[in-house]
Amino acid sequence: MINQLKLDRVLKRVEKPARYIGMEQNSIKKDLNNMSVKFAFSFPDVYEVGMSHLGMHILYNLINNDKNYACERVFAPWIDMEEEMRKEGIPLFSLENKEEVSNFDFLGFTLQYEMSYTNILNILDLSNIPFKAKERDENYPLIIAGGPCAYNPEPLADFFDIFVIGEGEEVTLELIKLYEKHKSGNYNKEVYLKEAAQIQGIYVPCFYDVSYNDDGTIKEMFPLVDDVPRIINKRMVKDLDTMFTPEKMIVPFIDTVHDRITMEIFRGCTHGCRFCQAGIIYRPIREKSHDRLMEIAEKLVDSTGYETISLSSLSSCDYSSLLLLTKNLIEKFEERKVGVSLPSLRLDSFSIDVLKEIEKVRKSGLTFAPEAGSQRLRDVINKGVSEGDLINAVSYAFKEGWSRIKLYFMIGLPTETDEDVLGIKELSYLVKDLFFNRPKEERIGNFKVTASASCFVPKPFTPFQWVGQDTIDEFMRKIYLVKDSIRDNKVSFNYHDADLSYLEAIFARGDRRLSKVLIRAWEKGCKYDGWSEHFKFEFWLEALEESNIDGAFYANRFREIDEVLPWDFINPGVSKSYLAKEYNKSLKGDTTKDCRLGCRACGIQDCSMWGVFN
Amino acid sequence: MKIRGLFTKKNYLRYISHLDLIRLFHRSFNRSQIPIKYSEGFNPHPKFSISNPLSLGIESEGEYIDIELIRDIPIDEFITRMNETLPEDIQIIKAIEINNSDSISSIIEWAFYELKFTLINKVDIDDLKKEIEDWVDRDSIIITKLKKKGKNKVPKEVNIIPLIGNVVVKGKDKNGFLVINTLLKTGENGNLKPMEFIEAMNRDLSLSLDLDSIMIKRLALYAEKDDTLYSPL
Repeated sequence: MINQLKLDRVLKRVEKPARYIGMEQNSIKKDLNNMSVKFAFSFPDVYEVGMSHLGMHILYNLINNDKNYACERVFAPWIDMEEEMRKEGIPLFSLENKEEVSNFDFLGFTLQYEMSYTNILNILDLSNIPFKAKERDENYPLIIAGGPCAYNPEPLADFFDIFVIGEGEEVTLELIKLYEKHKSGNYNKEVYLKEAAQIQGIYVPCFYDVSYNDDGTIKEMFPLVDDVPRIINKRMVKDLDTMFTPEKMIVPFIDTVHDRITMEIFRGCTHGCRFCQAGIIYRPIREKSHDRLMEIAEKLVDSTGYETISLSSLSSCDYSSLLLLTKNLIEKFEERKVGVSLPSLRLDSFSIDVLKEIEKVRKSGLTFAPEAGSQRLRDVINKGVSEGDLINAVSYAFKEGWSRIKLYFMIGLPTETDEDVLGIKELSYLVKDLFFNRPKEERIGNFKVTASASCFVPKPFTPFQWVGQDTIDEFMRKIYLVKDSIRDNKVSFNYHDADLSYLEAIFARGDRRLSKVLIRAWEKGCKYDGWSEHFKFEFWLEALEESNIDGAFYANRFREIDEVLPWDFINPGVSKSYLAKEYNKSLKGDTTKDCRLGCRACGIQDCSMWGVFN
Repeated sequence: MKIRGLFTKKNYLRYISHLDLIRLFHRSFNRSQIPIKYSEGFNPHPKFSISNPLSLGIESEGEYIDIELIRDIPIDEFITRMNETLPEDIQIIKAIEINNSDSISSIIEWAFYELKFTLINKVDIDDLKKEIEDWVDRDSIIITKLKKKGKNKVPKEVNIIPLIGNVVVKGKDKNGFLVINTLLKTGENGNLKPMEFIEAMNRDLSLSLDLDSIMIKRLALYAEKDDTLYSPL
């Protein structure tokens, strides 16, 4: 345990000290001396962000469910706290027992976004743990990671002992059990890692090396030892109803980003949007049953006292008995004043009917994501919505009393022309006209349409994984094209930082040579890069240059279809040839229908859609 | 039915804010399924109020909460069920049914604090006692408070002597902390925060106080009637 007198002193000086005290409802504090395995789970961002992550709540309860294992939480201390901790010589500690991170057996990170990578290094540094896996012997915790960014783990390969590819509910316990067995004997890190590498979904980067061609592309990735797999197959839980599902969630004292029950209703997505990584890596679609969800909901409401249940998934309106589920949840909890919310909406009247059901009183804003301004470009990205869908949905929403609409777009999508970009303005104005063309007495509320544009980042395991990203200058030119064309105080336009998206593109599709850039950037003081007030782009440019890394090679270059990609050794279940086929179709503007309407032969096994149509 | 409860806020939970505390009670009501009354209207909220917000970092032995229920439940049962769902460091120690309609925050006038801190320079306790007694015997002690004026905050000079009920220097505790008990005005008819009191004392008496060492605990809240203090429960 860290020195508590020192902690007391620093807590008085920092903003929001409750970020660091633990003790929340449903947090679990065990006697660490009696544990056979101690696991520290880290979301490498500030408490309020990390606590909003469903995966953390699942794995926390899963591990603690075993009486011999303890899982405790570790977040990145905010800038002020870090400064005080360094001044007082307080090492990073877990929230539950205030135990030094370096005293745990495992330190597991969830990789949710690339721009959290410097925070991982900072967490290791604050824990007095060497960055590089090869510099850590048996006296240090095993540093492991999972989550969506683990699907291209290579930029982090030097730092981690183990990556977990795919869903963690089963494999995390397998790793811990194996460790427990090894620890009870004569524990040797390499022997453990070798055996761990045999588990499906486990990638141990130190057992592999990479050779390169003269042009800088990858020649080959090869194992350095016998008996490790050349291809890492992802892990996937087959039955979500019988899978471990937490009946408790930690209820934070302070306000967090998502301060409510998050109830996962299904995994996977059938839409096949070509820019979307989640839509590929979480395949196949698997639903939890209505009855199981009603059961879980009651337990979560009882144990948390939360007043909202958010129905979470990649596209919640697709849940096959959504209307029944929402109606039953609302009815069941009406007396207890517990409401239901949906995180994302589809552009159709059915979705709005559901919304009407759950938002009986307050008509807050509505958000839609056409993603691209023109029909041509929406076909390219396979976003299956038309202008007609938007018109219907928005008209219906206005009739039902909504008056604030948000539209999400991406700029820099493949094949994009200026005409496509200006479509963002056209659609926004169309929404405005739809409101004001209504008879005056039927216009309810204070109208506003907000179009937000992010800069497209090509991701591994998508049909656009070969595509070069627009340069920062090109992004800004397009952004200003839209911005300057909008002259209406009812229509506002926001855009994201192109500098940040450029770095995301580098690390999303990077290889092992990038770890030195991360260290260099961290040394210069980069951390909390996802927070605009702390993002220091000039430091990143220096770090790239000093490491002799050409960012454009990773971000802006178009890759050949037959190029060896850094993540080719990972198998997400969807085949590379399917992604290539989709890429070629996109260039022609050919769409691919939702897999609920017929199997597209993406290669995924055990898919219920496959069973239905073949 | 209306219930008034007295509760503690201790240890690390002194670091949760007043708004956090309201949220915590709301969710504890939900978990315990105490039949709390909700307001009418578009956005119904549970009817309860916690008086005289504590500043972040201050512990308390006795805070008040008034709660409205839709049906009667035995007080003992209320306390048991709430304490099962509240954290260990926030527990209801006493509760009564109330019938009058005066809100708890409108009747609280005084707060009794225990202040603890260390001094960087060595001082004689008896000298210090004398010095502090002389200090509060002054006709005026002026501090500058920031007062809200529309959107802005403007500095305003305030004489805090009428806001100080008494000051008792208790001496040093076993850890070498100087312990002072003081009764300070709180609420709508004048308010002096314990930190403002400590800062003024440190300024006027050059105590060389170690600001990082300060620990403050609210021991009790009092109402006042005919110059007599009493507990509203």
